[in-house]
Amino acid sequence: MPTESLTNEVRLLRFLAQDMTQAELGKRVGLTRQTIAAIEQGRYSPSLEVAFRIADVFGKRLDEVFHWNPGGVAEAGGAE
Amino acid sequence: MSPFEKRAWLALWSQCPPYLVYFLIQAECPMWLTTFLQRIACLAIVAGVHAIAYVTGLLVMKWQERAEPLLLDERDRAIDGRATRTAYFVMLAGMIVVGVVMPFSDTGWKITNTALFAIVLAETVRYALIAMGYRRTPRLAH
Repeated sequence: MPTESLTNEVRLLRFLAQDMTQAELGKRVGLTRQTIAAIEQGRYSPSLEVAFRIADVFGKRLDEVFHWNPGGVAEAGGAE
Repeated sequence: MSPFEKRAWLALWSQCPPYLVYFLIQAECPMWLTTFLQRIACLAIVAGVHAIAYVTGLLVMKWQERAEPLLLDERDRAIDGRATRTAYFVMLAGMIVVGVVMPFSDTGWKITNTALFAIVLAETVRYALIAMGYRRTPRLAH
């Protein structure tokens, strides 16, 4: 059974961006607040297009926001 | 809770109880409904209860969500797509039974009720999968 996981720093980056709300980030990338929450908790992996949009909002590269852990254990909300 | 998850739960709760009662009556107490008019009236009451419950719930939700626009995003579409694909096969199986098998052995209301059951079952599967999809979304949804 594959154990790869995709983690992300979205929650930390939101905090660093003057505590941007999930709703505000969602509005800027075209997602709902619930989907942003699911991404942060590792319950949903966004499409590549949305991942690029999220990275763009924070002015980061894609690999600075999302991390692929081959064979690793999921670290939901990797920013914690 | 996502507005689309709420709508899926509403659809389930407004649809399942009335049709469960309808199919139980049809299966267990057919003697209660002997004439065509009685059968049609029973179906009309069930469909009416379903419609009233769903529309009322929808209006309440709309009123609660009046501040924020309803946005359908890629996660909602992925969950809906998976649920609809599965429900399609339930409907297909039901229609094969109703349209291909039953005409050779049954007639009338038995075929009608089986067709109705297939539709209700497919809808129930769809909404149940949507509601579950928001609870435990597979990580890679595409």
